Amino acid sequence: MSHSHKLVIKRSSMSRPPPPPPTTNKDQQHQNPSLQEINIKLIQSGEKERLKELLRERLLECGWIDEMKALCRAFTRKKGRNNVTVDDLVHVISPKGRASVPNSMKAELLQRIRAFLASTAD
Amino acid sequence: MSSKINGHVSPQPCPHLLVFRSRNGPKPFRALQDCIRVKPPGGRAAIRREPTEVPRCGTCEESSRSRLYACVACAAVFCHAPLLHSHASDHSLSIPGHEIAVDVDRAELFCCACGDQVYDRDFDAAVVLAQTVNATATTSTSGSTAMQCSVAGSQPENLRKRRRVDYRPWEPDSGEHISRGNQSIPLLDATNASLVSSTQQPWGFRGLNNLGNTCFMNSILQALLHTPPLRNYFLGDRHNRYYCQQKNGAINGTKNSRLCLACDMDALFSAVFSGDRTPYSPAKFLYSWWQHAANLASYEQQDAHEFFISMLEGIHEKVEKDKRKSQSPAGSGDCCIAHRVFSGILRSDVMCMVCGFTSTTYDPCVDISLDLEPNQGGSGKSSSAKSLNSFNFEADCMRPNQNCGISTLKGCLERFTRAEKLGSDQKLFCQKCQVRQESLKQMSIRKLPLVSCFHVKRFEHSSIRKMSRKVDRYLQFPFSLDMAPYLSSSILRSRFGNRIFPFDGDEQDASNDLSTEFELFAVVTHSGRLDAGHYVTYLRLSNQWYKCDDAWITQVNESIVRAAQGYMMFYVQKVLYYKESENQGTS
Repeated sequence: MSHSHKLVIKRSSMSRPPPPPPTTNKDQQHQNPSLQEINIKLIQSGEKERLKELLRERLLECGWIDEMKALCRAFTRKKGRNNVTVDDLVHVISPKGRASVPNSMKAELLQRIRAFLASTAD
Repeated sequence: MSSKINGHVSPQPCPHLLVFRSRNGPKPFRALQDCIRVKPPGGRAAIRREPTEVPRCGTCEESSRSRLYACVACAAVFCHAPLLHSHASDHSLSIPGHEIAVDVDRAELFCCACGDQVYDRDFDAAVVLAQTVNATATTSTSGSTAMQCSVAGSQPENLRKRRRVDYRPWEPDSGEHISRGNQSIPLLDATNASLVSSTQQPWGFRGLNNLGNTCFMNSILQALLHTPPLRNYFLGDRHNRYYCQQKNGAINGTKNSRLCLACDMDALFSAVFSGDRTPYSPAKFLYSWWQHAANLASYEQQDAHEFFISMLEGIHEKVEKDKRKSQSPAGSGDCCIAHRVFSGILRSDVMCMVCGFTSTTYDPCVDISLDLEPNQGGSGKSSSAKSLNSFNFEADCMRPNQNCGISTLKGCLERFTRAEKLGSDQKLFCQKCQVRQESLKQMSIRKLPLVSCFHVKRFEHSSIRKMSRKVDRYLQFPFSLDMAPYLSSSILRSRFGNRIFPFDGDEQDASNDLSTEFELFAVVTHSGRLDAGHYVTYLRLSNQWYKCDDAWITQVNESIVRAAQGYMMFYVQKVLYYKESENQGTS
């Protein structure tokens, strides 16, 4: 049904229409902002914190957080409570965690970020 | 790696943290204290040198990595992604004494050498304080002692430490020996064994005749008759009705005989568990209750929940006259069996939206009344929307505030413990600001009872519109319920993160792992209209469900129960439930 949504903006693609004619320096600055620039905009406006809260709520609702907790518990039981560090747990659950985020959630957040960028574009 | 202090598990510091503390004087985290930012008041704590700082890794300039740590020794920020690279680890290896760092987004300590989270009481106290006090306060606190004092002072007055009593096995005294001999009837003997074995129902099942709109009473009585700790109490002869009346000096048959609802309960238990399967008429009980709750005495249908509350009060009232027992703190359940079984403690946090000052109060409660959702949830696909087991789950709805599918008991509990912004017409007085301010209120459960009773507010009475109506919306309820997420300790953890709390007190025994799991054993349902309805109770024994409809008790399939319209749900602590199931011998 769905293709996976990537949060990184694609820089080039075979199916993309030919690029617009060269523009002034001012305009060029705001085309294809880098990940860093987007991140800073999100943080400084407070939008990143809002998005994080929304994400937390969504992940809780769909049981993702409970699943991760269960994974951590299972791993800790296997290794022994005193032999597990935070880094171990992050290492163990990160791939599964990333893979199991629902596509609809990714779509929702991507949509919000796009809307935010559009609304704050100069 | 951890030790127990007063029963509370406290993580031991790693060697690097110990060295750090010993090298940096009595206030090793003093500089960090000024960098704790909380916005808005009540939000999460973060570490920022300036309020508008965008943290970046000092080595690679990255600001979008998910784990950024600030070195506590030199305040430099680095990223930490052990699979790719960890500039935080590089930093800690390059300069000895710089192993301890703090997560800039979570305000939690981390040891780069151990690769693990570490805990420090003073630091955690500072974070908790920052989150509950004005984030922009300019007054400089003079170190950890001032912090500890003001935080310790926030423990509310009305919660006293619970005294523990040594275990003493019960032995009947001389009076009890006599009354036992004279008045008790054997439960299982040759004469009534035939009655018992002729049916397939478990012990203690007996229909209750409807005496004229008394199904509200019958339904609650059936639930109470099979509430494990209550059943054990009365069948264990802990309140002997003959002995009790003698104690009160009552003269049989005269107006001076004091009524005692507990004695009537005792009589009811004896009648229902006698082995006689013919329906019983609880007329004496009804009459006693009428005398106790005169305002509810009528031939009309009553609210089962109101009856339940007034019954518990009735059992409690009798005992309160005993001076010795009235000394016990509220919510401890030491006063009477009704409270011992049903009483829990609710915690209410009210936070001023302007300065962040939080006032906490504790109140005992015998049940929790829950509101159904104000808006109708989305249609269809209810079970798939709530599936928690599939990794490939996709939410059916994407709009932020829409609820998918049906209302659930867990949803109600989540809403009950959610932080709620009180309206501008409900401003509460803030001790710090000294004026009424808009507030944020959050409920949580400080202590769980042995039996949790949930009451669904299905009857709405509006005095303004002068009408009442019944909410028929279906509510899904689980057979097994874990109350852990609704405990104060869980709510606090989600508010503040992983912390050692300076004012823990005896929180630990309230959140014992064993006692947060509950099993459903009784459901009181209501069908029909507000003015013309009928109460029926479903009981669960050894995973078998029985329908108690006044005088008729029949075995039913669990799907019937799941589909029923729950009005009151009774859950008992799992340990007590399974014990009961083991003892069901006769069939």
